[in-house]
Amino acid sequence: MATTATRGWLGVGIVGVALLAALPFFANPYLVATGLTLLMWLALTQSWCVLSKMTGYVSLGHVVFYGIGAYLVVITWQSWPLPLAIAAAGALAALFAVVIGLPVLRVRGPYFVILTFGIAELVKYSILAGEAASGTASRILFGAPDLLVIYFAMFALAAAATLLLVLVSRSRFGQGLRSLRENEEAAETLGVPVVRYKLLAFVLSAAIPGMVGAVMALRSTYFVVGQVFDPMISVTVIAMALLGGGDDARGPILGTLFLFILSEVLWVRAPLAYMLILGAVLAGFVLLAPGGILGIVDSLRARRVRSA
Amino acid sequence: MSIVETLLSGQLLFAALVTGSLYALVALGLNLVYGTLRMLNVAHGDVVMLGAYGAYWAFTGWGVSPLLAAPAVAALGALAGLAVYRGVVRRLFASTGQTSTRLEGNSLLLFFGLSIILQNAAAFAFTPNARGFAYLTEVYHLGNVAMTANRIAALVIAGATCIAVAALLSRSLLGLSMRAVIERREAATIVGVDVDRVQAISFALGFATAALAGALVSMLEQISPFSGFPFTIAAFIVIILGGLGNIGAGLGAALLLGAIETYGVALTSANVRSVLLYGAFVAALLLFPRGLFARKSARA
Repeated sequence: MATTATRGWLGVGIVGVALLAALPFFANPYLVATGLTLLMWLALTQSWCVLSKMTGYVSLGHVVFYGIGAYLVVITWQSWPLPLAIAAAGALAALFAVVIGLPVLRVRGPYFVILTFGIAELVKYSILAGEAASGTASRILFGAPDLLVIYFAMFALAAAATLLLVLVSRSRFGQGLRSLRENEEAAETLGVPVVRYKLLAFVLSAAIPGMVGAVMALRSTYFVVGQVFDPMISVTVIAMALLGGGDDARGPILGTLFLFILSEVLWVRAPLAYMLILGAVLAGFVLLAPGGILGIVDSLRARRVRSA
Repeated sequence: MSIVETLLSGQLLFAALVTGSLYALVALGLNLVYGTLRMLNVAHGDVVMLGAYGAYWAFTGWGVSPLLAAPAVAALGALAGLAVYRGVVRRLFASTGQTSTRLEGNSLLLFFGLSIILQNAAAFAFTPNARGFAYLTEVYHLGNVAMTANRIAALVIAGATCIAVAALLSRSLLGLSMRAVIERREAATIVGVDVDRVQAISFALGFATAALAGALVSMLEQISPFSGFPFTIAAFIVIILGGLGNIGAGLGAALLLGAIETYGVALTSANVRSVLLYGAFVAALLLFPRGLFARKSARA
C-alpha cells in the first residue's frame, strides 16, 4: 500500500517536473511568467517548511530573506556580475539567519511567530528610513536578463528547495527536528543537539528565499523596497504550507498549487475577494481540517482501504 | 529646539500621555484575552478599526457625538466578542484540544485569517480611502501647553476606563475569578471557577474596550480599513513589556511606549516612527520575554 502510494506520488511528480521544464518551449510569455510565479511560491514554501514545518517554529517573517536578497541585487546592479550577486544574496540571507538565529530561536510558540514578523518589519522600515534619508525612493533597473533565463534560474531554485526538504525530512537530522517539535526538553534530554539543529534548519531555510528574491528582482524594471518586504508574502507562504499539510515535500506542492490557482483566477479580477477568500481559507482549514489537503487525502484513502 | 527643551516640553508630554492612554486601553483587552485563554488575538486592532468606523458613521450619518456613540460602540463590541468566542473559539477548542501545544499556533493563524477578512470586508464596504471628521477641536491652554478638547476627552475616557477595569479585576468577585484563571487555570477549575464563563466575559470585555478605543481614535486621526494593525502591534509591545496577563504593569508599559514613540519622533524624524515601534517590539521580545516588571516568582 505504502509503496504504491509512494510510486503514485513519484509519477505525478515526474510529470509535473517535465511539464514545468518544457513550459517555456511551447507556451506564450504570459504563461511562462505565470509558471515563474508558481515556481517562486513553491521555492519559498518548501524552504519555509525546512524550519517551520519540521520544528514547529512558525516563522511569519520569511519575506525578510526574500527582501534582503532582492535588495542586494538591486544595490549591486551593474557593478557585480549577476550570478555572483545572486549567490551573494543567498549567502547574505543565510548570514542574517546565523546572526539573528541564536537569540531568536530561544523564543518559542506564539512569541516566535510575532517576533519573526517584527524582525521582518523592522528590517523593512530600517531600509525605508535609510532610503528616505539618502533620497532614493525607488529604482529603475535596465538590462535585466531574458524571461527564459529567469525562468530556469527559478526552476533550479524550486527544485533545490524541494530536494532540500525531501533530504531533510528523510534524514537523521530531520528526525531530530521532528523530535524537538514534539517535545523540546525531551529531545534535549535524549541527546538531540537542539540548539545546533534549530540554527542549522533556520540557516538552510534562509538561503533559498534570498536567491529567490534576487532572481525575482530582475523581473520588474521598477524596484520599490516596500514591495519586496511585503508581509503578505510571508502570510501567503504560511497559508500554502498549512493548506498542503504534512511535513514532507508533498504538502507544500499541493498547497502551493491550490492557492496559486485560486489567486490566478481571482487576483486580477477581484483582489478584495481574493483576500477575503484567503482569510477564510486560513481560518477554515485551522478549524475544520488542521491536517490540510494531505490530511484529507490520507483520511479518504484510509476510508477506502477500510471499506475495501 | 535643543534636546533638553524637547524633553522638557509640556506639549510632548501631553501628546505622549494621550497616545499612551489609548495604547493602554487597546492593550488591556488584548491582555485579558491572552491571560485567560492563552491566545494572541492578531485581529484585536481590527476591532479598534471597526469601532472607529462605528463612531465615524454615527457622527457623519446621524450627527451623533462620538462621546455618546462610544458606549454604544463598546456594547456592540462586547456582543461581537461573545459571538466570536461562542462561534469560533469554542470550535477551535473542539478541533485542536484546549490544552494542546498546537493551540497557540493554530489560534494565531485563525485570528490572522479573521483579521484579513475584517480588513478586506471593511475595504469592500467602506472603500479603502482614509476618512476623518473634526469634532471638539477648540483649543485649551494650560500654562504654555495647547490641548484640543478631543484629546483631553480621549485621555480622560481612556484613562478612566483602564482604571475602572483594573479596579474591577482587583475588587470584584468576577475580577478575582478572572485573575484566578489568568494565574492558575487548572487550580481555578478545581476550586469551582466557571472557566468557560470567565473566558466568554474576557472576550466580551476585550472587544468592548478595543471598540471604545476605536471610537476615541476616530476623533483624533484619520481612519482606514487597515489602520487597526498598528494598534495590534502597539498592544503586543505593551503586553510583552508589561508581562503577558499582567494587567497593572501593562498600564505603565503603555505610557512608556507612548513616550518612546512621541519623544523618538520629535528627536529624529517621522520616517523613524515605524523603526522605533518595531525596534521596541523586537527588543522587548528578545530582552524581556517575561516583561519589564516581572516578579521573581513569575511562572514559567
